[in-house]
Amino acid sequence: MTKPHAALLTVAALTLAGLTACGHHSDPAAVEVSRGSCGVGWKSPHGGDQTVQVHNVGPVTMEVELVDPATHGVYAEIESLAPGTTRPFHLVFARGSYAFTCLPEDSDAETGPVVTVKDGPATGAAPIVPVSEVDLGPAVTAYRANVSAGLATLAADVTALRTALSSGDRARAQRAWLVAQMAYSRLGAAYDTFGDSADAIDGLPGSGSFAGLRRIERGLWHGESLPLLSAVAKALASDVASLRTDFARARTDPNDLPLRAHEILENTLQFELTGAADQGAGDGLAIMSANLDGTRMVLDALAPELRPRYTRWPVVNDEVTALRKLVAAQHRGDRWTPVGALSRADHERLDGALGQLLEDLAPIAAIGEVRRTQ
Amino acid sequence: MNSSRRGFLRGLGAGAVGIASGAAVTAALERPGHAASAPSPVFHGLHQAGVVTPAQPHATHVALDVLATDRAGLEDLFRTITERARFLTAGGVPPEIGIAGPPADSGVLGPLVPADNLTVTLGVGASLFDGRFGLAAHRPPALTAMPAFPDDHLDPARTHGDLMLQLCADNRDTVVHALRDIARHTRGGMQIRWRADGFIAPPRPSGTPRNLLGFKDGTSNLHVDDRAEMDRFVWLPASSWEAGGTYMVVRVIRMLVEFWDRVGIVEQERMFGRRRDSGAPLDGDHETDVPKFAEDPVGEAIPLTSHIRRANPRTPASEPSRILRRPYNYDSGVDEVGDLDMGLVFVCFQQDPDKQFAEIQRRLAGEPLVDYIQPVGGGYFLVLRGVRDATDYFGSGLLSLT
Repeated sequence: MTKPHAALLTVAALTLAGLTACGHHSDPAAVEVSRGSCGVGWKSPHGGDQTVQVHNVGPVTMEVELVDPATHGVYAEIESLAPGTTRPFHLVFARGSYAFTCLPEDSDAETGPVVTVKDGPATGAAPIVPVSEVDLGPAVTAYRANVSAGLATLAADVTALRTALSSGDRARAQRAWLVAQMAYSRLGAAYDTFGDSADAIDGLPGSGSFAGLRRIERGLWHGESLPLLSAVAKALASDVASLRTDFARARTDPNDLPLRAHEILENTLQFELTGAADQGAGDGLAIMSANLDGTRMVLDALAPELRPRYTRWPVVNDEVTALRKLVAAQHRGDRWTPVGALSRADHERLDGALGQLLEDLAPIAAIGEVRRTQ
Repeated sequence: MNSSRRGFLRGLGAGAVGIASGAAVTAALERPGHAASAPSPVFHGLHQAGVVTPAQPHATHVALDVLATDRAGLEDLFRTITERARFLTAGGVPPEIGIAGPPADSGVLGPLVPADNLTVTLGVGASLFDGRFGLAAHRPPALTAMPAFPDDHLDPARTHGDLMLQLCADNRDTVVHALRDIARHTRGGMQIRWRADGFIAPPRPSGTPRNLLGFKDGTSNLHVDDRAEMDRFVWLPASSWEAGGTYMVVRVIRMLVEFWDRVGIVEQERMFGRRRDSGAPLDGDHETDVPKFAEDPVGEAIPLTSHIRRANPRTPASEPSRILRRPYNYDSGVDEVGDLDMGLVFVCFQQDPDKQFAEIQRRLAGEPLVDYIQPVGGGYFLVLRGVRDATDYFGSGLLSLT
């Protein structure tokens, strides 16, 4: 029941050179790239699990892609290969045609000689046609239209919250707070989407001056006077108005959309499902449900470009639907189960389903990243 | 591909895994600065590795709850754990997935994942045999939920679980890498319920490693290289679907080390029945001396209440309750009053937890040592028989039951 010792000796010497091992080969000579000469010296390539070293012999940094010359689908890329440096491409080469595309800084892309792999497996790494900024144009337009509409809803909901606070009816104000909080959470404001406005509108204690929706939540559930909270809501209304103006003027980086696909729910897992963001309402699952809406909105915008490029797209859709169902099961009447009151089994189911969805959303950021195609 | 069934399988790269794996490849790199000493344990076989495997220095014991809701989902989960275990214990180069997603591997072990003597050992708890997977009729009578013993302080958050995953390796980073890898590939299929990280101290200065009370722990263990002894006390006999498996008891036992350090050495040694310095029984000179209880019927040298005497009185009546111990020390932070939370992840293997482990517990009930130790968690698990070959998977025997 022991493994042969002899094998240790034969392989030991090979391994130091890099990723060289049984069934896994390196070309001894690096393939050279430079402006005007993209992929020189790649001879007699073999199929299977291979590492190809690429060496930039030119004077400029360039992006290098290994592509399918027929479709220009990308197998693998090196984002920036500085002059004089060598980097490996490691992947499973199936039978077929391959070429390098070099994208030097400040000059046009060029694709080098086509090489053919005649041995090796029938299927290997799958090429993905890169997404360009133009490709994502309609997605950005759709996303911006949705966010603009959502911001209008948020403004109206904040107005309703102010009215409720003025009425002196705490329960009514609590309900109005949740409506406004969910309207904001539905926008999928993860990370830098809304810049400083995000902190003013939805900041948590410890992040600068504590104001906005979460501050109002804290007050509403800790017996603070409603007139005092009205003042906070007044500032909130003005911050929302500024955000609407700023958003209308700002440009949305197309790269933000593929990132949001998983980042919105990364925040949900970190701050809502843990209960960390809860200021007393115990409505983390309501916010999670709104975050799922926000994610859905981003996915819908990306679908035309990403569905054909990502084989697990249908799985992602199923998982979003299944998770929404799990979350909705914790909404009874107008009450959401506080995360702290979830049964262990329910908590684990939500954690596991969200974790799985995040794993499947993460590749969207990689596939959808805007790449140079010219 | 049925998307709901394979819902928790990471699609990317999963098919390419193992292409470059090969234990020999990685064994050469797994112990930098050391000549390759003992070869890594093999993954395939009648028995799972990690039971009679000499204990590696680092471990984690992870109890998990299954999220799959039906038999097909459970099978997918077992197959995925098997695939990952097969790759991780052999080592190799993780697949590169190009621009199709984030890297397939965490990179914690570098580009070439070493086997590093890793063992992945999977057990199932009694709760797996509830109504969810149609297994209720097949729960072996010996597989129960761990009972609370008289001196236990069990925390439900650290007790029981549908599954127990024991990961052991020569280095801590290998254990962490394996846990992250398996968790990532099974997200949505199972969720961690609790875990306990352990380490084994080197001999100080020789003999059996010491626990965190300062005493050598495990001197009179069963002999893992004695096949007959293993067959008699540890492995489940042929004639049932569990054949080749064994029962695993995990007990997370906190040691009140501050209190303990305030106890005089004579009292400490009388509680154990051994010298702290040498590990010798109190009626002997050397660690390996066999205590002569029969010659000391009133406990003059070794008190009748001492731990070693209660645990193993070495009588014909106590012989059948012997167990294979494979414990780890744990060291994990501080409690509310600033005292250290450390102790023992007691792990033992046997054919029948009630007739062996629990029988010993019953003898130990009320021993003086209980004032200084608090069992706070753990569980009973059936370690499934080994994965036979490249086509077999953990639990194939269990899931063939109808």
